[in-house]
Amino acid sequence: MTPPEMSGPLTGVRGIVLTQAWAGNWCTSLLGQMGADVIQVEVRKRIDIWRGSYDAPIPSQVRGKKPLQQPWNMGAGYNSICLNKRCITLDLGTDEGMTIFKRLVPFADFVAENFSPRVMGNFGIGYEQLKEIKPDIILASLSGYGHDGPWANVPAIGGTIEPTAGQSALLGYAGDQPLNSGQMFPDPIAAMYGVLGIAAALRHRDRTGEGQYVDLSMQEANASIIGDAAMEYVLTGRQRPRMGNRHTTFAPHGIFPAAGEGQWVALACETEAQWRALSDLAGRGWAADARFTTLEDRKRHEDDLEAAISEWSRETSREELVAMLLGAGVIAAPVHDAFEVARDEQMLDRGFLRAVDHPQTGEWTQATLPVHFSATPAEHFRPAPCQGEHTAEVLEELLGLSSDEVDALVAAGISGEGPPA
Amino acid sequence: MTTPGNRGALEGVRVVDTSTTVAGAWCSRLLAGLGADVIVVEPPEGHPIRHLAPFAEDGTSAPAAYLLADKRSVQLDATGEQGLAAVRRLAAGADIVVSSSTPSALEARRLRFADLEAPGLVMVHVTPHGMTGPLAEVPGNDLTVAARSGWASINGMDGRDPLKPAAWQSSYCAGVMAAGSAVAALRYRDAHGVGQEVDVAETEVMTGTFAPALLRSQYEGRLPARPKEMNITEGPVPVADGYFALTLSRAHFWRDAMNLLELPDLAEDPRWESSAYRREHHAEYTERVQERMTHWNKMDLFDELAIRRVVAGPVLSMSELLENVHLRERGFWVRPLEDPTAPEFAGAPFKLSATPFSLRTTAPEVGEHTDSIANVEVDA
Repeated sequence: MTPPEMSGPLTGVRGIVLTQAWAGNWCTSLLGQMGADVIQVEVRKRIDIWRGSYDAPIPSQVRGKKPLQQPWNMGAGYNSICLNKRCITLDLGTDEGMTIFKRLVPFADFVAENFSPRVMGNFGIGYEQLKEIKPDIILASLSGYGHDGPWANVPAIGGTIEPTAGQSALLGYAGDQPLNSGQMFPDPIAAMYGVLGIAAALRHRDRTGEGQYVDLSMQEANASIIGDAAMEYVLTGRQRPRMGNRHTTFAPHGIFPAAGEGQWVALACETEAQWRALSDLAGRGWAADARFTTLEDRKRHEDDLEAAISEWSRETSREELVAMLLGAGVIAAPVHDAFEVARDEQMLDRGFLRAVDHPQTGEWTQATLPVHFSATPAEHFRPAPCQGEHTAEVLEELLGLSSDEVDALVAAGISGEGPPA
Repeated sequence: MTTPGNRGALEGVRVVDTSTTVAGAWCSRLLAGLGADVIVVEPPEGHPIRHLAPFAEDGTSAPAAYLLADKRSVQLDATGEQGLAAVRRLAAGADIVVSSSTPSALEARRLRFADLEAPGLVMVHVTPHGMTGPLAEVPGNDLTVAARSGWASINGMDGRDPLKPAAWQSSYCAGVMAAGSAVAALRYRDAHGVGQEVDVAETEVMTGTFAPALLRSQYEGRLPARPKEMNITEGPVPVADGYFALTLSRAHFWRDAMNLLELPDLAEDPRWESSAYRREHHAEYTERVQERMTHWNKMDLFDELAIRRVVAGPVLSMSELLENVHLRERGFWVRPLEDPTAPEFAGAPFKLSATPFSLRTTAPEVGEHTDSIANVEVDA
């Protein structure tokens, strides 16, 4: 068995990772797509919740696409965010499983995990203990509230971090109640920050030989990306209100109906020239309307402004609107649904969206690495691993285990795949 | 040149930020927090972010106060050849350049990577659609990025306009991804002596955060819908003193929460243990559960659920976040090291044990460091 081909700036770096769910899985996948060899260690007794469950229904469009289909390898959640990883299974609750994990650590530049804070210590593999095995190891922990402080052990998921990081209070329609996003948005944000933290720690290690501990709190990571609203409160004493799609400064700035059911167009004017161009396009004399003449006027009469634009925009198809607005220099874009995103010419052209063939679900259009490196391009994209797919490969390659030794681990239930006996 | 207190993971790294966007500014701000010396190039009228509301009484822009902190400012009029030559010189002497210009704008100003003739440079482009492809020259912003990426299609309420993330979160996300990629490229440069261009498209970053919905829609052959009404299966609902998210994803979350809310029949009925069943039949319980929740204050409910290890989220305002005992104890809110009387800032997005993230200074005045940096350039 030969290890997979790697490309990208992190080629030569290896992570042995205990990540799960969205934040940790996507963080380590991004590093894998940058070239790192990311070896995911999964425990069969606690299947990664993003795989779904061992008896999950097989999604309708996937059924029958490949001869072997196991429910735990068919989860869209897991398969969407785990590209470029190898997956081995080890029961870390057994001495033998833990021994093998510890034998793998010296081959790692970094270890990453997103258990709740007590787990790594309980397993005896906290930062201090990992450092004894490999003195320059980098350990990154991605948790809800970080590893110290009064809420350290409070359980959290993206849907509860969004409110406790201050994001929900800002999301929603003007004058209406706070919302959560339609997905666990705090997770991918934590994932991207994890990439930055690990990359920075790798650079420091390269220069000094010193490893370190990265303690990432999803609450803090998410609060940091609305830090301008915190600054507003500190400077003015005002909580920023919910404002839908409106901008603090510019108007118009919103999402408006186009002709047809469920068709929307995003439209914004950031300069007076753009505003005049929009007014000319619509031909309804807006620029001369006393309510809309200056930016200040438009902000003051934003309800009227948006009503006027909606009345105009809903008469024309979304594609025509976008073409005409962009042609006139106005900032505009269609609101794309998932099917439309999958066909997006720009992102396909750039190779960000690409067909990825998964051994059990078939070929689908997937989001890959949202970064393009000119000298060290990411060129190899591998589908999310099936559970335990690389156990034999990795244990042979790194630890020199024979196939008999691997078989014995499987027979003992320490490794293997699928529902535990 | 000395930059006091500079002992981070990016010690000794110089970043020249020529970008004009929130995404570029957040990228370089993160690099500064990691210890880099960041020089922001501003036109005579100041960085565009300085003109973004909301403003404090003294006219300070809150976004600028946050995003331009920890940087030094050089004022350069880059509309003429002399100014452009200075920008080129500054950029060529940097380790990392952050740019938000389109390919044609860089070409016109001879500020392309090749023009700078600095083979060890890492040049980071953060633009709405990326530097290649049919949309490379098309303008965009935080709103259009949310629209094109798919993000808006699943956010907000059914029948109303799809929602972008509040404030500039799409831009910040692109800044985070750009900073991480820049450090990866810098590390490669240090090892191999080869610089490169790093091209980050804001839309791709946001589609990256949309990846699960993108694949699930294809697997299932149908699109996710935006909710028709707000209930506990979708997001925050009212409690006595605000709003509260109760995401009952596991059987024990459900049982323990229903017992706490004094709804024992819901707690004990085994049908409700399945989250799929609960989603399908939510109309049978949401009103009762939400009525009970209105008898609680959010922090009391949060504390009681935390003891039971049930995930729950009170909707916190900025004043509540500033006072939050946990964030206080973690030391999240910080004042700049060199300006301890300045207002508090949202601090490190993560803690690094050996090379802590730091905030050294408040945002500079426009051109505050023009003279000193010009002198350094002469010395160098």
